Amino acid sequence: MTFSEGREFSVHSSSLKEIRSFAREVLAKDNIFKSTSDDVVLALAEAAQNIVKHAYSGEATSDNLKVDISFENNQLKIDLYDKGVPAIPTNIRPRNIEDIKPGGLGTFFIGQIMDEVMFKTSATDWVNHLILIKNY
Amino acid sequence: MSYKITEDGNIATVHLDGEIDMDVTEKAKEVIMPLIEGGKEVHLNLKEVQYMDSSGISVLIESHQKAAELGSRVVLKEISKSVLKVIMMAKLEQILIIE
Repeated sequence: MTFSEGREFSVHSSSLKEIRSFAREVLAKDNIFKSTSDDVVLALAEAAQNIVKHAYSGEATSDNLKVDISFENNQLKIDLYDKGVPAIPTNIRPRNIEDIKPGGLGTFFIGQIMDEVMFKTSATDWVNHLILIKNY
Repeated sequence: MSYKITEDGNIATVHLDGEIDMDVTEKAKEVIMPLIEGGKEVHLNLKEVQYMDSSGISVLIESHQKAAELGSRVVLKEISKSVLKVIMMAKLEQILIIE
């Protein structure tokens, strides 16, 4: 099976629920995702949350972010695009999990759930392009 | 997210319902923190919480730490399977009080 689906959402915390619903719908297409669907939805939502929180500092904007979910050769690929402040990949690290404090867990969750996480510099209309990959 | 609070003596039980993400964490804190600051032992019943992300986990940590600071505690009750999975992924099952 191969598929590719994309949708744009407002850059706002209220979009997170819609993003999760979109991902759940897409991942319901095949039983192969059944046991990991909740985790993948969490990873995607954490990445989207990071866009709202960090790329836009939680400030109101009329911008959209874009989510593409595709599956090919047993590899699930999620592309997130936004037009916020350019991310500096070397500054994005999960916090030390032994350090018990609120905040900073999202990146840790993404790393735990996905097999590959990378930023891509691409010639598009977007500023940031984050790619999350999970192999099946 | 919706909630219901019941009180029995010094214990306030907050029944949370729905999905707890960045969009509702302020509301969750507005419900929980005054109870802790009022000296209550707070029980959070998470049976009906179907989804919790890192923002929700932050509320649990913040509540736990605030209660400890004030000599009280926050106890997590009837945690749904999906929320427990996230708590365990954050390696917090030995830190937060779970009954």
